Amino acid sequence: MVREAMTLRVELYGLPAVLTGQRRVEVTAATLQELVHVLAAQFPSLCGTVIDLDRGWLNRGYIFVVDGRFTREPATPLRPGAEVLLVAAQAGG
Amino acid sequence: MQAVHGRALLVDLGTGEARTVPIPQEVFRSVLGGTGLATWLLFRFAPPQVDPWAPENPFVIATGPFIGTGLTTSSKLAIATTSPQTGFIGDSLTSSYLALVLRRTGFDALVVVGQAPDWSVLFVEDDRVYLRPAHDLLGLDPEETAAALRAELGRDVRVAAIGRAGERLVRFAAVVNDGRLAGRTGPGTVLGAKRLKAIAVRGTGRFPPVADPAAVAAAARRLAQRSLGPETAKYRELGTVANLAFFSRLGILPTRNFAAGTFPAAEALSGERLVTVHRADRQACAACTVGCEHHFRTTDDGPPATVRLEYETLFALGSLCGIDDPNVVLRAAALCDRYGMDAISAGGTIAWAMECVERGVTLPGDPAEWPRFGDGASLLRTLEAIGERRGPLGDLLAEGSRRAAELIGQGSDAWAMHVKGLELPGYHPKKLRAMALGFAVTPRGACHNRTSAYEIDFSEQAGDHHERIALATAHSEDRSAVLDALPLCKFLRHRFDDFLAEAAELVRLVTGIACDADELRRVGERIVTLKKLFNLRQGWTRSDDSLPVRLLGPDGIEPAELDALVAAYYRVRGWTPEGLVPPARLRELGLDSLVAHAATGC
Repeated sequence: MVREAMTLRVELYGLPAVLTGQRRVEVTAATLQELVHVLAAQFPSLCGTVIDLDRGWLNRGYIFVVDGRFTREPATPLRPGAEVLLVAAQAGG
Repeated sequence: MQAVHGRALLVDLGTGEARTVPIPQEVFRSVLGGTGLATWLLFRFAPPQVDPWAPENPFVIATGPFIGTGLTTSSKLAIATTSPQTGFIGDSLTSSYLALVLRRTGFDALVVVGQAPDWSVLFVEDDRVYLRPAHDLLGLDPEETAAALRAELGRDVRVAAIGRAGERLVRFAAVVNDGRLAGRTGPGTVLGAKRLKAIAVRGTGRFPPVADPAAVAAAARRLAQRSLGPETAKYRELGTVANLAFFSRLGILPTRNFAAGTFPAAEALSGERLVTVHRADRQACAACTVGCEHHFRTTDDGPPATVRLEYETLFALGSLCGIDDPNVVLRAAALCDRYGMDAISAGGTIAWAMECVERGVTLPGDPAEWPRFGDGASLLRTLEAIGERRGPLGDLLAEGSRRAAELIGQGSDAWAMHVKGLELPGYHPKKLRAMALGFAVTPRGACHNRTSAYEIDFSEQAGDHHERIALATAHSEDRSAVLDALPLCKFLRHRFDDFLAEAAELVRLVTGIACDADELRRVGERIVTLKKLFNLRQGWTRSDDSLPVRLLGPDGIEPAELDALVAAYYRVRGWTPEGLVPPARLRELGLDSLVAHAATGC
């Protein structure tokens, strides 16, 4: 089944926000895997630190929150109006 | 076992006597060092049901086998004592050069008992001990104290000191060294009770030899390289202050004394904004390649301040008190450092007082001086009053939220946000089941570091199954205990593909003892259980493993669900339904003989 890509509002927190200078970005993607590709193309500053270009996926330590659920599953489908956050999974302090 | 000296230095401040105490090899094999060793020494030297204020309450500083090996982030000291806040075990960890020099004295640990006849500095120079009068140092902040002592004794001397809060027995006073605070659970208060302004150490000996020097050096180079990877960039570039805006977005940022989980002004306090507008510089702890310590400066026309800031300080002096001005938070953090106070407990106690004012509950002192949510001037004024124990309000709040609520009554214990007397750190447990459980059961009280249970909530493993949450929380607690025993920084934990297996290999190379992942997990479990045994001896009961009233219900976790989680946790630990440790479990963990060692004093 081919999923139709849709425009999403993605919120960035922590280092992804600092590297892009953006809190919110609008991108078109049907899955998290697609979203990572789009982010890498649109924001090269994320590559290396947040996104591993060779693997085409997030580096360890970064995670998505999709509709309140933490996930690093690339095949996660993105529904219209989904709340998507990209965060550094750090804590402590 | 290599990489240890096999002995501790025991100092009695009352008699002025010092002696060497051998530490059995079995102790090191069982709990390694760091927090594990500090806990065992506390267990051994504390009389049952010891009063935190009593001269008999031991103050323990312990090192670990990795210190001085070149393994990055390992230069950490573990402190253990009976907490004036909780009456249970109080343990704190701090990174410092003091760990390195203490290790070069020829001792693995320092145990201080008794009370000095007058204010003193304990000066340990290798195996010699001096007590120096400290009247000229009273009133100085910890950094000034260290500077004065190093000017007098030499630059190779390292110092741990208390500030005015410790001198005045504020219950959440910190021990400060190299600009780092061992703050949680009030270890500085115990030093104050012992009339000890500072501990100064010069160590000129060698580090104890490791089992395989060449392999350890190679492992240290590899670990340093891995510590620089993209996964630690978040700590280097931004630090833990990054949590604030994200936590608010998730609804877990404690706001206005935990009345809410979202702070409308979170962007103003966000870490992303702080690094853009306020960053001064970045530093690293001793022997660390990560370098996560970010300093920020004020930018307004008020008194200038430059201070290290972490998420916990930012939330406690910011959203928790309804403060949205980063300049106020920076000044407040600088005050906590100067007085030598734990910022989490200071902020938590003031937030409790702010809610009292909001609800019309009468506090002592001039109403014009009372702290109010969102009022930065009142926050700074109240911090100074606490640090000085000035006036009836400062004196009350210096007791912490639990005792302050007991003293003024009027139902105010309903919003005193503590577990076992320790104020909660910056995770609103409403949506965090593992964290809620961790807060309830961890021996030292509400603590994020001893369980790191938020990682379970922030991952794909989170679910609703109580047994799974309990097991994951126990494993996370055990892993944290191992990190604190080696010691290694928790910010390195995700740089390992299989932490327990790889850390076990490092233990083998450093100490020469056979160790694998299963044994290392048992080390962690032993340490957690030993802390529990200490608390049991102090009078722990099942009701101590709970959460503040406010968090029991729709604004947190239903009491029945928390009970079920705690019961599941006891089951996975092999404890009784009442939370007691059965003798069979002690034997399985090999703790029966370890506790016997402590009891017999060998």
